[in-house]
Amino acid sequence: MSLGKRMLSLVMVVGAALAVSMAQASTDPAPAPAQSVAPGAHSYVPEVEKKSTSTADHSKFKELQQNFTSGPEVTKACLVCHTEAAKQVHKSKHWTWEFLNPETKQRLGKKNVINNFCTAVPSNYEFCTACHAGYGWKDQKFDFTSQDNVDCLVCHESTGTYRKLPGLSGHPNYKDMEFPPGSGKIVKAPILKDVAQSVGKTGRNNCGACHFFGGGGDAVKHGDLDSSLKMPSKYLDVHMDKDGLNFSCGTCHKTTGHEVPGSRYTPTASDDKAGGHMRGKEDKNPATCQACHGTAPHKVAKLNSHTDKIACQTCHIAEYARGGKPTKMVWDWSTAGKLDKDGKPFKLKDSGGHDSYDSKKGDFKYETNVIPEYIWFNGKVNYTLRETKLDPTKVVKINSFEGSASDGKSKIWPVKVFRGKQPYDVGNNQLLVFHTYGKDDSSLWSNFNWDKAIEYGMKEIGAEYSGKYAFVSTEMSWPITHMVAPKGDALTCAQCHAPSGGIGRLDNVPGLYMPGRRANELLNTAGWSLAALSLLGVLVHGGIRILAARKGDEK
Amino acid sequence: MSEKIYVFKVFERIWHWSQAGLIIFLLLTGFEVHGSYSLLGFEKAVGLHTIAAWTLVGLWVFAIFWHFTTGEWKQYIPTMQKVDAMIKFYAIGIFTHAPHPFKATTLKKHNPLQRLAYLGVMLFIGPLIWFTGWFYIFYDKWTEWGWDQYLSLEWVAFFHTVAAFMMLIFLIVHVYLTTAGHTPTSHIKAMLTGWEEVD
Amino acid sequence: MLKAVLGFVAGVVIVALVGWMMMPSMMFTERVSPFGMEETVARIQHNIEDSPELKAKGWSLSGLRNPAKAVQTDGGNVLPVMMIEVCSTKYSGPILKDDTVRFLSILMPCKISIYKKQDGKVYIGTMNAGLMGMMFGPLVGETMGHVAEDQKLFLKFDPSKPAPQMILPKAPTGGAGAAAAGGC
Repeated sequence: MSLGKRMLSLVMVVGAALAVSMAQASTDPAPAPAQSVAPGAHSYVPEVEKKSTSTADHSKFKELQQNFTSGPEVTKACLVCHTEAAKQVHKSKHWTWEFLNPETKQRLGKKNVINNFCTAVPSNYEFCTACHAGYGWKDQKFDFTSQDNVDCLVCHESTGTYRKLPGLSGHPNYKDMEFPPGSGKIVKAPILKDVAQSVGKTGRNNCGACHFFGGGGDAVKHGDLDSSLKMPSKYLDVHMDKDGLNFSCGTCHKTTGHEVPGSRYTPTASDDKAGGHMRGKEDKNPATCQACHGTAPHKVAKLNSHTDKIACQTCHIAEYARGGKPTKMVWDWSTAGKLDKDGKPFKLKDSGGHDSYDSKKGDFKYETNVIPEYIWFNGKVNYTLRETKLDPTKVVKINSFEGSASDGKSKIWPVKVFRGKQPYDVGNNQLLVFHTYGKDDSSLWSNFNWDKAIEYGMKEIGAEYSGKYAFVSTEMSWPITHMVAPKGDALTCAQCHAPSGGIGRLDNVPGLYMPGRRANELLNTAGWSLAALSLLGVLVHGGIRILAARKGDEK
Repeated sequence: MSEKIYVFKVFERIWHWSQAGLIIFLLLTGFEVHGSYSLLGFEKAVGLHTIAAWTLVGLWVFAIFWHFTTGEWKQYIPTMQKVDAMIKFYAIGIFTHAPHPFKATTLKKHNPLQRLAYLGVMLFIGPLIWFTGWFYIFYDKWTEWGWDQYLSLEWVAFFHTVAAFMMLIFLIVHVYLTTAGHTPTSHIKAMLTGWEEVD
Repeated sequence: MLKAVLGFVAGVVIVALVGWMMMPSMMFTERVSPFGMEETVARIQHNIEDSPELKAKGWSLSGLRNPAKAVQTDGGNVLPVMMIEVCSTKYSGPILKDDTVRFLSILMPCKISIYKKQDGKVYIGTMNAGLMGMMFGPLVGETMGHVAEDQKLFLKFDPSKPAPQMILPKAPTGGAGAAAAGGC
């Protein structure tokens, strides 16, 4: 073989090695995910905010051509045709406000849970049930079997004029009404006939009427759900973008028989579906990212190799409350009840013009563009219920997300951690239910007396109260899953694998080796010292050789 | 006057220099991934480190094949003969212009210390870096392959870094010792042209 | 002799290199704010607006910019960043009158940037006016020296005071739009 030929073959050999390596590095060694999501595949027509494709025009139905005077009257008319609808709603959480966690056996749901926002529903029904999908729940005697009391309109109307105001036990205002009381703002009574005729598929505004305003105001509770999602731009939510995919809530929370999938009591923390959502397939939870995108949605293999431990949300929702609406981060009930020099309740505002203090509620802190906290989460949530004994010397976790680096079921999730202070029973070491709202003189908001409000609340639920209360620090976690940013805004590698001195997003997540972040310091010291020593060694050796050589020359 | 012998064949020389380049590049990107400094940015460093690693793997596969088909592997059979003489030479003789105790020939091109060092690189550092590197690359497959119960990324990374430090130290000493030939540049010239000047 | 020259040259090169590396951090300063985004903005604004001393020196707010808004309009996200613009004609006037340094109008109005970083903390970024001014002769140097003195007052916080309200410009100031709210 001539030298030239040999050279050629060598070049080919090295070239082949390079080619093999490139191919290996850029594709997954396992069967590569087929590029099934073609660029146009997402462009199907969304169901909302477009011309109705329904085969029924409800304004033409004679059942709806009457001057309704109340919500239940409208429901009666709906049920003439939709004979099974109310029975379906009766089974849903939107109606029962109750949920039995099959795994932990904890009895949850709004009816039972005490959170650290408005705390508890019992004794405050008239106020809280503004967000109940029903009419007339004003006390414990509410009839959960009544079909006429199901509120069809709140979820299906599309005029935007139908509002259920707090204090009306789930009814809309049938007469013009000043709201909030004393504000001078008049909320017009909806024309029920028009509202009834406007019904259709549930849209963002319907869900948002309650879910955007949880915790007593816009953006307060979730942080990733607020009124900016009614007509969001692309930057805020890539799926709900009003000029783009324009998803409604139901596009992901695909509902059948009035049972809405996607639960915060039993979230799907780790969904290892191999492929996308198929028509006709029964998915446990069609609202996960994986239900459509699968588990290997990235073109870069290295990114797909993160999906087994990192929830999609961690990278793709880098910050929440990005729509300009600040979300509440802290709520301290212990300062509630201060009155001004005239003995009147008052409010203070923060720099952004949001309430920082309200005599009715205490002190608040708000924030926009919040960087989430990150935790291991396997889908199991444990609640501190009213019955649960608590340790008042520690921060009480209203809910705790279970998970660890090693259980094989957990992923790293972004959460909003909401911190507060709320009353607990010093004698029994349990959380307290108190009477916030009511026209009687026991409610906190009528006379700012904690003793009376707590006594009333505890009596209402028939629970024992030692008579002594104090305030305990609490924490509640909310998984962040909405407000998915365009892919260009996903976290970059270096935002977690930050260079030394930088800020790494997952620095506080335990049980995790993060290349670039958590090097073994002992190894580093030993390694660099030995390298430096050997360098020094050869330099000294070389130096002596040079000196010796010079001496030799001189001789 | 000195004579010249042909010690390094074309393949060996290409192998050596591409390997040298790759190893230096791997050290550079590897320690960036390790978090020691910021040069290319983490993302780029990871991508290039992976490509370079696979290239080196490919190169080694061919090198192993070449060594066995040509019988050149025998050059690495360890011997303790004259090891003491070599150590003595590096410790004392080299300063006093003592004659090199080893004479390279085409059939025996490495001195006994070289043999030991290169064998160590190939049988210890190499495999350590390869295996830990593969575990590292296929980290996301551990669960699927049932390895997650035996491996932890922290220790895989630890040993990968240990090997990297050893490689770095080898590199430093190796580069220096290339100047310890008949003349300071004779070893380097040999690795470039194939022809080594010997006494 | 040659060695001395070489040594001198090497020294110059090293100093230049070190200077070149230090320059960015010397020209600009960054510090962590003890307050949130809006409160930091509001407190700086009120430090300027409510100080008789600064008023006497001609300082007034001339705008509040939100470059993040422009990014959002283009369908992207960045962490919050707001720029307070503040100007004093007492200082800008003489510079604007001098043809040799008029180009320094690109540094006007004086800006203070408030931004959030990945650690969730709010930072305040300012220009080192004093140092920068020194590069452009005595007139600019002296003026910028005063600016630097006053800038310290902008950022002197009194946490015992309650959080004031943010002063919003009359016209929304995105990346593109300009706010002409008095001052310069």
